[in-house]
Parts: sequence; C-alpha cells; structure tokens
Amino acid sequence: MRTLEMAVGTTLPELVIPLTPTMIISTALATRDFTPVHHDTEIARAQGSQDIFLNILTTMGLVERFVTDWAGPEALIRGINVKLGVPAYAGDTLTFSGAVAERDGDTCVVDVRGMVSLGPHATGTVRFTL
Amino acid sequence: MTGTQEAEGHERALRELADKIIAQGEGPRLLTPSPVDRTMIKHWAEAMGDANPRYQGPDAIAPPAMIQVWSMDGLKRGDRPRLPLDDMFEALDERGFTGVVATNCEHTYHRHLVPGEHLTSTTRMSDLSGLKKTALGDGYFVTWNVTWYAQDKPVAEMIFRLLKFRPREERCPSEERKPYPLRPAVNRDTAFFWEGARSGELRIQKCGDCGELRHPPGPVCPSCRSTERTYAVAAGTGTVYSYVVHHHPPVPGRETPFAVAVVELPEGVRIVGNVVDRAPAEVEIGMPVRVVFQAMDDELILPMWTPGSPDANA
Amino acid sequence: MAGTALVGIGATEFSKNSGRSELQLAAEAVFAALDDAGLAPADVDGLVTYTQDANQEIALAREVGIGDLTYFSRVHYGGGAACGTVAHAAMAVATGAAEVVVCYRAFNERSGQRFGQPNAGLGGEPSSQGLEMSWHVPYGLMTPAAWVAMFAQRYMHRYGVKSEDFGRVAVAMRRHAANNPAAWFYQRPITLADHQASKWIVEPLHLLDCCQESDGAVALVVTSAERARDLRRTPAMIKAAAQGAGAGQMMMTSYYRDDMTGLAEMGVVGRKLWEISGLSPSDMQAAILYDHFTPFVLTQLEELGFCARGEAKDFIRDGGIEIDGHLPVNPHGGQLGEAYIHGMNGIAEAVRQIRGTSVNQVPGVTNILVTAGTGVPTSGLVLGAAD
Repeated sequence: MRTLEMAVGTTLPELVIPLTPTMIISTALATRDFTPVHHDTEIARAQGSQDIFLNILTTMGLVERFVTDWAGPEALIRGINVKLGVPAYAGDTLTFSGAVAERDGDTCVVDVRGMVSLGPHATGTVRFTL
Repeated sequence: MTGTQEAEGHERALRELADKIIAQGEGPRLLTPSPVDRTMIKHWAEAMGDANPRYQGPDAIAPPAMIQVWSMDGLKRGDRPRLPLDDMFEALDERGFTGVVATNCEHTYHRHLVPGEHLTSTTRMSDLSGLKKTALGDGYFVTWNVTWYAQDKPVAEMIFRLLKFRPREERCPSEERKPYPLRPAVNRDTAFFWEGARSGELRIQKCGDCGELRHPPGPVCPSCRSTERTYAVAAGTGTVYSYVVHHHPPVPGRETPFAVAVVELPEGVRIVGNVVDRAPAEVEIGMPVRVVFQAMDDELILPMWTPGSPDANA
Repeated sequence: MAGTALVGIGATEFSKNSGRSELQLAAEAVFAALDDAGLAPADVDGLVTYTQDANQEIALAREVGIGDLTYFSRVHYGGGAACGTVAHAAMAVATGAAEVVVCYRAFNERSGQRFGQPNAGLGGEPSSQGLEMSWHVPYGLMTPAAWVAMFAQRYMHRYGVKSEDFGRVAVAMRRHAANNPAAWFYQRPITLADHQASKWIVEPLHLLDCCQESDGAVALVVTSAERARDLRRTPAMIKAAAQGAGAGQMMMTSYYRDDMTGLAEMGVVGRKLWEISGLSPSDMQAAILYDHFTPFVLTQLEELGFCARGEAKDFIRDGGIEIDGHLPVNPHGGQLGEAYIHGMNGIAEAVRQIRGTSVNQVPGVTNILVTAGTGVPTSGLVLGAAD
C-alpha cells in the first residue's frame, strides 16, 4: 500500500524532537549509558561541553524511529549507517529530514539528516525491507 | 629530536601496535551483560518516543537499533576484561592524542531479536588511519568491528570509528574547554615536572652532582647541597603503596568516587596520582600500575596510573 | 616551663551556628577564662593564638579592654598549634616577656569557613605550601579526611587493623561525650554498628571516623607558678610544653619519608615532653589525644610510647582508653564527641582533670598528657598538680 509513496525522491515527514533534559537523561539511561556527560550538567560543563548531550545509542535509536514512524511497522530495519557531527545539547531541538535514495524491490534506502542549531548532528542512511 | 622526527617516531610505533592488534583478529566471545529483555525494550521505546507496535505485546521484537544496548556495562563499569583495543587507545593517549570524538557508527542487522535471547559478542580492531589533520587537531581514526552472535550465528554487526586527536594548543575562545579547577602552583623549581607531563614524560628530579633522585622536587639537593638540577625520565611503572577512595564531599572538577594512590616507583621515589581505568573498589595496595597522561583541559596534563604490570606493552 | 601554670579556662557554648562573629566568640571565651582565674583584662599583657585564627590580637585586646601588650605571638600549622600556644605563653612568662598571657582560638568552623570542604585554591598559591599541595590537590586529594585516610590505609595493611578498630575510638569518645552536658553529642552515644553503617567519606574512613565541625571559642590563661598561688583556682602546672616537626615533614601529606604508619612529628614532641618533665608514659593517669580522625588516636598511642607499634588496636579493644581503662583518653569526649575547637577544648579538659572538676573525672590525676593536631607539625603538653 505504501509502495507508491516510497519512490526514489519521496521526502519523509519531518520529525522534530525537543531536547529536554528529561529526554536526554531518560534515553541515556534506557540505553544503559551512565556516562555523567549525559545526565550531570556540572560534569558535562567541567569537561568542556555547554550542557548534557545526547548519547550515540540514542542517536541511532532516533534515526531508526524517524524512518519507522514513516514506513510503518511492516518495515524491517536492516542497517543504519550514521556519520556523527556536532553534539545535540539539552535545550536544543533535533530535526530529522530525509528522502528515499534507493529502491530495489522490497529493499529501500533512505537518506537521513538530523540537524541541531549548531549544524548536522547525524547524517546517513537507513536500509529496510518491507 | 626534531618535531618531524618525533612525529615520525610516533607514527611508526602506533602503526606497529595497530598492525599487531589488527592481526590478533577477534577477541574472546563475551556474554553480553543483558539478555534481550521485554522491560528494557519498553523503557527504550518510551524514552525514544517510539510507538512502533512491533516493539509491544506478546510478539514484541527488539528494536534493531537497541543492539548495542545489550552490550552496555551500565553503572558497573570496569568489570569488562581488557581488550587489545584498550592498548591502542592508551598508546594514543600517551602520545598526546587525548581528545576523542566518535565519527561513524554503522549497524547491520541480519535478523530481528526477540525477548529471552542472550547474545555473545566479539570485538576486533580493523583499522588505524594515518595521521590526519582535522578541524579539531591532528589525529588518528581508529575503527573497530563488533559482531553479535546468537547460538554461534552472527545476528548483527557494528562498525564504529572515532578520532583520537591532539587537542589544539590555541583555539578561539568559544571553543576553549572550561579550565580544570584544581591547578597546581608551578614555579622554577617544579616547572620541569609539568612540562614533562605535557610531553608524555614522568620526570623525577635528579641531582646534577651526586645523582640522587628526589620527588617531590626542590631547589637544593638534600644530600650534597648542590643546586645543579637535572631530571631522569621514569620508566613509568610502579606499585600502589597506599590509596584512598574519595566519596564526600564533592570535589570541583571531579566525579566521585575516585581513587588516589601513593605510588612507589622502581626508581625509589613515591608520587601521588589518581588510579584510573579500574573501579575504585578494585584498587589495592601492591597493585602494579603504569603511568598514563590525562589532559584535564587545554593546558593541564596530569600523570595518572592505570593497572598494568611492568612488562605489559612497554 | 618550670614555674608556669594554667590558671584559667573559658569557653563559649559549642554549637553548629553561633549566630555571632568570631571576634565576639573570642571575647566571650577570654572573659570566661579571666573570670575563672580571678583576673581582670587589665592584668593581661600577652596574647597568643593560631596563625589560622581570624581575630588579630589587637582587635581582641580592644574588645575585652586589654591595655598594653608586651608579648604577642602566633603558632602555625592548623590544629598543630593548640599546645604550641601554651608553650609560647609559658616561654614568655618564664623569660619575663609577659606576666599573664591568654591563649585563644575562636571560629565559626561549621557555620562559616569549613575546613573539611575542598578548596580549589589550596594548590594554586606560589608559596612553599602551595607548591607542596600541588603534588596532591590536582588529583582531588584535598580534604583533611582524604589526607589522613591515605595513612590509615597503609597502617591497616601493615598491622592488620580493621575499620572496627577505628570505630572503637569513635564509640568511646561518644560514650564520654554522652555524659558531658557541654558536649554537642551529650546523651547521644553510638554503637560500633552505627559506625560501620555510617557513609564513606574517604575510604577507609567512615563519617563517624571524622570529628564534627563546630562553632565556638576557648581561652586559656597562663601565668607564673608564683602568681598562681594567689589566684582562686588550683593551678595546672605546665611540667613540659613542646613543639615538633619531623624530618621530611609536610602538611598532612608526609607520604614520602617513611613507611607511613607512624607520626614522626608526634614522636619528636613526645621525646621532648618526657625529657623536659622527667616523666614517662607510665606516669600519666590520663591523656588528651587529638582526635580529628580516629586512626591517628591509634598511631599516637604507639608513637608516644603507651603501647608497641601495631598494638594500639588491642589496647583499645581491651578498654584501654575508657574512663576506667589503662589510659583514659579524652574524658570530655574529644573532638569527635564534645566539639572541634582545634584542640583547645582538650587543653581545658586537661586542666579540669588536674583540678578534679571534670564531669568524667579520672580518679587521682596528677599528670596528664595533651597533644595537638596530627599529621601536621604539632605540639604537646604535660600538665600536673602542684607539688
């Protein structure tokens, strides 16, 4: 039913994620990442960051969510390849955009870009099958 | 030694170490700390705001992107056995490439996972780049691969790459790290020590006349009154003579608990420093340690101590 | 020190928040001590305090109405100064530099500047002390508890001492304090289980291994034995007073000189005290041992010759430091139980023991030893009854 919408060049609906401290901390803990820079503002600042920031496991999870929110539960994620950019700090907003880059039968590749105010936080591709 | 020769020396030594570690291939297959678990999936999906129905209900599957979560040590850090890759990072730290920033993470999922499965994983280092000039500073990209198995069949893989870089001495003010608050006073009697730390050397004051070694240093040799001072570069090994684990009160610039030790060096002097890379509870008197140099901010590098015997990757 | 005596003691209440300035606390303690001695401010011509005290001698003199001062002095090295103030006063009296010298220590150590809190500036000073601290502070080794814990760990390792052995000191001090209405921990004894359950401060030290923090002041009056005879109180004769620093000494961090299981500077003080007084440990009926942290009470018992190296744990386990023990220690409850007035409250208790007026009076005290801050250059006293 979605095959038509998945033609190469189709853009995905934006996903806007307000990076509240609750979001940063609860995702860090849900990914079992207890590194203090993801939950302790004072330590994060002492180490040169402007605030606590999103951990990589969460970035991977959000990239996945961005695609499945659009592709639906039938989509089976086969691979995620992310180039990491600037940190996603608490107080910022992470906005995902993307478009279908390749389509080959049941397999689809989507280009994804997650932007924060400092620039690209994550860019890459997600491959899934239907 | 000129700067260029020094850099070439670094590069050669790092390349040799990398080749050795890469040739070792996959490390031991280790059971992941967490089995694939329904409650963890629920928490994860909730935190991510992911309402995908496939992660819910009796037939739930695990979100593929959770793969690394099953391998996380959680709060009980330091239990993990030492991997050859750790030697690579230490060698880079010791040469001043103390900065770290992750650059790539690539997951491949061969099949989806269901609650109850308990995975094993192996790690192998796959690449060390040449010395690269980057916006953050000169550095090396280190790449490693993790493979997860269920009943001996690979179910997922990850390629992870990070940049280990030498933090730039000068940066524009907006990029400067916040200064580490616990700074030493340095004067003409002690500057050699802190300069040594910056260049990756643990220096011990040595009398220019009678040769006596002394730490902490001072302007006059207590043995012969000489003010001719030089220094020896310590081998960088030692044993824990005594130690404490600080819990309270909070210390500026520090995360508690942390361990501080009096380390006895084979050169015959003692020195105080933190014991790192080991849970404070596992530090003990008599434990062999090796020096590592830790950048606290853009200026200060402190010699610290990591578990290791004298013959380990000298 | 021959011919000098402690003739007056005075103190404010010991609290966690005095609600008044340190200078006011000092003045109140001085009035109390002078009243106790039966002297007037106008009789005082000498003042001695700690370099760390925030109240200048002249400021205190103005407040309490002391006129001309012919002697003033300060003693360095934190709590190591305590008995040193009396040593300086006694020397001034003995040499004729002054006739009546008041020693004082006043602070809001709980409600004001707390010594137990990390001070990032400690290592930054380009003084010899700042340079010394710079080998430790950058690593976060920067609180008194941490500095002492480093010695305690080695001592435990060397002699098979357990945390419970330190805990017995805390339990004994709190037991003594429980019977002392002036003590902060009056009627609040603890058990060994409480000690073991108290949180880690710096391993191997629990919270209950660390003395409390207090607001308060203590003052002591020193004059000649001759003049003491005419005053209202039984004098506590200063049979010996000594200061001491050891070879390779540092402030709390003498980690580089020996096996870290003793207190060389306290050995120096002890030897000098026995030499001056002609007395020995077996002549002491009680002792006031500086107890900012429990482990150094054990070390002092050994360093001062009350028991052999490594045997303090057995001495304490056998009840040696209890009121009815072999050497009653800190009958007032010490700094763990009564108050942390940088050791000065212990000197006042020693005077009460000589007078026979302590709430926890040890029978027949004719000689008592007092020590000051441990881990730092320190000092000590032997006080005794007049012959």
